[in-house]
Amino acid sequence: MADLVQLLVSGCATGAVYALAAMGFVLLWQTSGTINFAQGEFVMLPAFAMLAGLALGLPLPLAFLASLVVAALVLGAAFKRVVVDPLVRAGVLPLVVATLGLSLAAKHAVRVGFSAEAQPFPQIFPEGVWNVLGVRVSAADVGTLLVAGALLAALHLFITRTLFGRSMQACAQNPDAARVLGIDVAGMILATFVINALLAACAALLVTPVWFARFDMGEAIGLKAFFAAIIGGFNQMRGALLGGILLGVLENLAAAYLSAQYKDGVALALFVLVILFRPEGLLGRAEERKV
Amino acid sequence: MTQPLLAVDRLSKSYGAIRAVHDVSFAVAPGEIVGVIGPNGSGKTTLFNCILGQTVPSAGAVRFRGTPLTGAAPLAVSRRGIGRTFQSLQVFGSLTVRDNLIAAAQEFQGSMAARLLAPSDAGLGARADAMIERFRLGRVARHPAGSLSYGQQKLVDIAMAFMPDPALVLLDEPAAGINPSLVEELRALLEGLNRERGATFVVIEHNMDFVMRLAQRVLVLAEGRLLAEGAPETVRAHPEVMEAYLGA
Repeated sequence: MADLVQLLVSGCATGAVYALAAMGFVLLWQTSGTINFAQGEFVMLPAFAMLAGLALGLPLPLAFLASLVVAALVLGAAFKRVVVDPLVRAGVLPLVVATLGLSLAAKHAVRVGFSAEAQPFPQIFPEGVWNVLGVRVSAADVGTLLVAGALLAALHLFITRTLFGRSMQACAQNPDAARVLGIDVAGMILATFVINALLAACAALLVTPVWFARFDMGEAIGLKAFFAAIIGGFNQMRGALLGGILLGVLENLAAAYLSAQYKDGVALALFVLVILFRPEGLLGRAEERKV
Repeated sequence: MTQPLLAVDRLSKSYGAIRAVHDVSFAVAPGEIVGVIGPNGSGKTTLFNCILGQTVPSAGAVRFRGTPLTGAAPLAVSRRGIGRTFQSLQVFGSLTVRDNLIAAAQEFQGSMAARLLAPSDAGLGARADAMIERFRLGRVARHPAGSLSYGQQKLVDIAMAFMPDPALVLLDEPAAGINPSLVEELRALLEGLNRERGATFVVIEHNMDFVMRLAQRVLVLAEGRLLAEGAPETVRAHPEVMEAYLGA
């Protein structure tokens, strides 16, 4: 029983990081109809930005803050302006191809710049193990879960309890009506891209101490985040949260009770089942689109 | 004579050889309810779009409170104090009714930076609650607008147009698609707003009974031209109107 609880906590921690990245898929899709297949690299790049900052002698908190700024400018504003804006009118497919290309370019640019070897990254939580009511949980898992959970809660409150968040929701649901009401639709879409980039940078801070910084670390997290968004519902923020947690927990359980080799297979199986039997996702709404 | 709130002077809009609106002039006084009727394709909605900056007129001028409005962007028009509803519903389906009402006025509450962390009702909660009470939406105020009946969504849509406290509201077929008892309720609501708050309306409508009872003056458009103008009973008896529109 104690092992199971430990696995659940650890799975929730991993899942919360998936959820952070999955939230980006949902936000971009809802506000601008963009699917970003470079989302994993949007996590990997801030990790290397932080490493670059550390190499320059910055302490980790400052390196993290610098990576947030760079992420907001490059992965948020510049990505929207240079990649999305020229292509989004042509539909989803050109954007999918462009972001896949961007993913490859980012990966291999980092491989050339930093080598293909995994780069060590400083731990942000204590390395100890806590005994809580007989259950041994790692401080890193608890810390990751708390920070990711706090970020997701803050994002939820921001979207649902502030004027700005309501404007973002209005733009996502009916941009024409939002425009008539005086809402700056273009500004709201830009804000969404910036929030996505900031979430990705936060995910990088949480995941890189465990996964290490590698040029291809974005492949797994991008794929899992995409699965999480589809499983939970591509048009629901709480769906991304559910999908992420579900994936993280099931992966952990599969690795412990079946085999570590089945870990990725479980995620894929769940993804396929959802696509087959509930394509709108567990919490998603069915959408009609004119094509 | 009192300065008109809205003055439309020889307004025209052409699409190639098609003249959607041709040489239309009229004025709306403060506190007046003006109906606009005409067969489908007579240019009613194009006229609204030209007034509200959603379409650039080919010729003519629009003045609001004596200052030019022609060619102003829709956002500038709404900030000047003109609200509108569309033929199709423009509510935000996943937001609650109350949040829809607040969303309709929140962009008038300071800069984007000021709104970034502003609380979600930003001082508009009381106004939204009053509007909910006036439109008898209290039972569904916390429901997502998309879950309401079409008629209730229509009421939300109209209530949203009033949230920024506009001086003039242009309503495009407010009674379309809603049941007769709600049509009657809507008429009473609009009359109440006109009587108590001095609200000024221009209303496009196909429901003759509704518009003839609501409007103090009626404009009749046919093939983009202003065919007749006058009190409802005068327009009803106008021979050209009867021939062109009422089919008599």
